[in-house]
Amino acid sequence: MSLVLTTLRAIKFTFQNIFRNFWLSFITMTIFLLTLITINAVLFVNVVAEEVLESVEEKVEVTIYFNTEASEDIVKAAQGYLRGFAQVRDVQFVSAEEALETFRERHADDDTVLASLDEIDDNPFGNALVISAQSTEDFEFILEAIETPEFSPYIKEKDFTDYEQIIDRIDQVSSQVRFGGLALAAVFGLIALMIVFNTIRVAIYVHRDEIGIMKLVGANDWFVRAPFLLEAIIYSVVATGLMIVLMFLFLQLSDGWLLTYFGESHNGVREYFEQNALMVFGLQFLGLAFLSLLTTAFAMRRYLRV
Amino acid sequence: MIRLSNVSKTYPPKTHALRHVSLHIKPGEFVSVVGQSGSGKTTLAKLLFAEERATKGKIVIGDWDISNIAQSQVPVLRRQIGVVFQDFKLLPRKTVYENVAFALQVAGEKKKRIEEIVPQVLKIVGLHDKTDRYPRQLSGGEQQRVSIARALVHRPKILVADEPTGNLDTIHAHEIIQLLKKINEYGTTVVLVTHDRDIVNALKKRVISIADGKVISDIERGKYVLS
Repeated sequence: MSLVLTTLRAIKFTFQNIFRNFWLSFITMTIFLLTLITINAVLFVNVVAEEVLESVEEKVEVTIYFNTEASEDIVKAAQGYLRGFAQVRDVQFVSAEEALETFRERHADDDTVLASLDEIDDNPFGNALVISAQSTEDFEFILEAIETPEFSPYIKEKDFTDYEQIIDRIDQVSSQVRFGGLALAAVFGLIALMIVFNTIRVAIYVHRDEIGIMKLVGANDWFVRAPFLLEAIIYSVVATGLMIVLMFLFLQLSDGWLLTYFGESHNGVREYFEQNALMVFGLQFLGLAFLSLLTTAFAMRRYLRV
Repeated sequence: MIRLSNVSKTYPPKTHALRHVSLHIKPGEFVSVVGQSGSGKTTLAKLLFAEERATKGKIVIGDWDISNIAQSQVPVLRRQIGVVFQDFKLLPRKTVYENVAFALQVAGEKKKRIEEIVPQVLKIVGLHDKTDRYPRQLSGGEQQRVSIARALVHRPKILVADEPTGNLDTIHAHEIIQLLKKINEYGTTVVLVTHDRDIVNALKKRVISIADGKVISDIERGKYVLS
């Protein structure tokens, strides 16, 4: 039997099946789409949560104060040294003068403080480095890394202790949120799996007599199976395609709301879906197609035994 | 053409559908297999197109011993034997033409040849003007004629008809039997499984009677002898 001819016939029968069982096809595909919507809703919530955590983490900065003996060169060397670490997002140099200026501004209404400063006459502040890390968990490492014989003698104070509690709390919340997100994804993933599995079983059950008839008329198993498998792939393609359209429509609509929250520079949610579209939707398609193919083959097995 | 030697079929645990059945059907014969419900006649038909396998004994069709036929060979066998069922077994979402063509498509027949044969066969059964109808748009008799056309499309040497008139009224039943007779006259061996006394008596052909899984009589130009 010619493979090309058989394949062409399988394709023809597939489209015949889809259109002649329009409502069943429509319902099956709608359920596929709803399944993907559920999964993407969970994914969206997870990405937003991740963005919120990141934006909070970004706002955390730790300052290293150097004593007055540390020259600008030494502090700048320390800045360069710290920038060499992957964990470090940014290191800002704050000169003694800037520090004094900021202090004066902050206490502009407090005459006593200003008077004491004038009394000292000298600048009591040293140079400082303001560090932001990729993740709050990295601060501990960074602050240890700076303790080298080269820089250690000049370090007056690290204000990490003030932040430690906040950072710990943020870490705790973020790991809880991430775990929650994963658990939610797993639960909905499982529900999606069951729904797809049962939808296909019902669709095949509806066709059980036809499958038997085809076998009795002399069709081999693959001739009967192929259109049903192709149908499953087509549903997966269409459902994923519609999902992509819906997702980007939704992202467009939610853009305003997300911008209000994160500010212009921080809308990573849309960026995430744009940059990872191929992977995110590719994996969803592969998952859906694989699951539906497997279920179709499994559900057909008993009706093919004729 | 068809030879059964000491064939038994037992359904677990202990239902004996056929017991030690031996018979020989010659090429071109028209044989009626009669018996009451549960006598084993449908099981006998199912053995011929491998919907069931014999528990014991040997079944030879032509030169082919199908007693232990491999699953992969079953479709090949079914493309050589035409089968007509009581419930027609038509594909509900295919038209008359497509239902008949399907039997050729499964065998990988070329489109051109299908377009040649299907109209011819539909003409034989008198449905050439209803090719685009779906089964639900046809009467029972018409549906059975589609089923016969599908069975004939391979030009099989054997046609097995399992209670083909069971779901039809007398007039349609008569039409179907006439059609089977015509097919037999063209040289096809016909095995008609039925419990319709009038049909069997009117045929005046060979009758094999089965009761309780055994052949109890086998008479040339026989009659329906069971009570």
